Amino acid sequence: MDAGLNLALWVLRFAFLALLWIALALMARALLRDVRAASRDPAASLGRLVVVASSGQPAPGAVFALDAVTTLGRDLGSSVVVDDPYASAEHAVLTFRGRAWYVEDLRSTNGTQVNGAPVVGVTTLAYGDEIRIGDVRLRLERGRG
Amino acid sequence: MTGFAGDLRAPALPGFPRPRPRPRELGLLVAVVVALAVGSLSLGLERTGRLEPADLPALALFAGGLLTAHGVLVLAGRRVDEILLPAAAFLGGIGLLVMERLPQDLLVQEVGPWTLGLGSLQLAWLGVALAVATAIAVALRSDRWLRLYKYTWAAGGLALLALTFVFGSEVNGSRLTLQVGPIGGQPSELLKVILVIFFAAYLAENRALLADLRVRLVGAITVPPLPYLAPIGAMLTLALGIVVVQRDLGAALLFYAVFLGLLFLATGRRTDVALGLVLFAAGFGLLALLFPHVQGRIAVWLDPWADPLGDGYQLIQALHAFARGGLVGTGLGAGLPEIGGRLPIPAVHTDFPLAAIGEELGMTGVAAVLAAYLVIVGRGLRIAAAARDDFRALLAAGLSLVVGVQAAIIAGGNLKLIPLTGITLPFVSYGGSSLLANAIVVGMLLALSDRGAAPLAPPRPPRLARLRRSPGGPS
Repeated sequence: MDAGLNLALWVLRFAFLALLWIALALMARALLRDVRAASRDPAASLGRLVVVASSGQPAPGAVFALDAVTTLGRDLGSSVVVDDPYASAEHAVLTFRGRAWYVEDLRSTNGTQVNGAPVVGVTTLAYGDEIRIGDVRLRLERGRG
Repeated sequence: MTGFAGDLRAPALPGFPRPRPRPRELGLLVAVVVALAVGSLSLGLERTGRLEPADLPALALFAGGLLTAHGVLVLAGRRVDEILLPAAAFLGGIGLLVMERLPQDLLVQEVGPWTLGLGSLQLAWLGVALAVATAIAVALRSDRWLRLYKYTWAAGGLALLALTFVFGSEVNGSRLTLQVGPIGGQPSELLKVILVIFFAAYLAENRALLADLRVRLVGAITVPPLPYLAPIGAMLTLALGIVVVQRDLGAALLFYAVFLGLLFLATGRRTDVALGLVLFAAGFGLLALLFPHVQGRIAVWLDPWADPLGDGYQLIQALHAFARGGLVGTGLGAGLPEIGGRLPIPAVHTDFPLAAIGEELGMTGVAAVLAAYLVIVGRGLRIAAAARDDFRALLAAGLSLVVGVQAAIIAGGNLKLIPLTGITLPFVSYGGSSLLANAIVVGMLLALSDRGAAPLAPPRPPRLARLRRSPGGPS
């Protein structure tokens, strides 16, 4: 085998390996960028409440990022103000304890429902569950991140 | 409708989605295709002594297929992941190069007027896989029919496996292939996807119960309440039982590892995983006692040189191939796939493609392949972390675990790190069922990554409430 052919083979061999790793490096860079962007995302939180349906405030489609303790009610001091004729001032509270979300009805006049069943005591919530206060329906979703 | 003030664009016509450019995906795909073109040139020069690609039509068709898939995703306008497709194409392209490099008469099939060799067959399957992945990524919008019919899915998968057991044809002493007319396939590849769907749906539905209602086992060790573990345990036992009797040990290991991973993700309890590992050790010991072929596998793993021309033959040849490759390999086409007209590694295209890569691309190439799996798994777990509910999170995590664990099992087996079990290297190995199953995985991960998908219908009421409301029994 002559020297020119040998040289060309060597160059191509190493160029192939180098290009494979360049492609991988580009993918890794894209991954990293995405992770950084997600960590800057203000919506990153323990969970989110999405308003599925309501009669007035909050507007349908609105999204609330949740803290570990989130109060729901007509009172303006609530984390999520639910302005519905059937909502009490301090209606319900959502808490994140350890691994899961819990909902508790704060002895409201008209009660709170999860997936159509009335809340009695402290009830566990799964992501995707629907909470109903009066005519306002809220879905618990996982936070980004 | 009250739109946001910033959104002044005209709404898209129903049925005509607005195209959404995907520059990141395009760039990565171009990088992958350029690398493959240089690899093909290197193989062509080694073979013919002229500077020409080894198989220009195949390369062009593969690149064209990738660009078509990219174009379809752009036109579909969904906000799906842009890194998964290039990463899978990277692995598929390396697999295609390996299949073109191996002797083409290793596997010949007549399709209509054409007689297709190994490389052309792999190319055809890659095309089908791309089409399937793209179709699922574009069309899969609701996960309702996945999660509501979980028992139907699981029963269908198990029935398919049982059919193989009864009517399957025997290849290499194991009944793994089901032949229906001209089309044959390995249902255990498909079953892995179905099992992940079932596990994810079941665990998502009962996550709160499994994580919080603990039953004391011994001392401080608690387990989830057993009645709630029974359905998933039964399904797992059935699947494991069938594949173990079929001697498909790799699939059994894969199913169990993915189950443990998902259980940990669902409950977040380390003791559950520890208990699972203890059960695994016990079950493995029992299997080794009951089945002589399990003992055989372990003996070959511990000392392949005890029977160098019999049971240990393939593994020894694979180790030699890795050793010949060294750090940077011999170059594509310069390895020793044939000695005296026969292959040193008979199953190089299905079970040992990593040995071929190790010989011709060296440790650098093997590490690149393993890194690509890392990219896919990392991306899948990101999709899981960003998913909006438990089912989608567990499904995305399970699907990416299936790919990663399967790659780890067969790579470890090839390198004599763990006992060798015959499963395929995802995206790289030759084989229609393997490529199709992994295409379904990629397609579903792409579909799950779209956070803007149609909202879910309200979930069904929890089990207790359902029972209470209908005293006559479950409706």
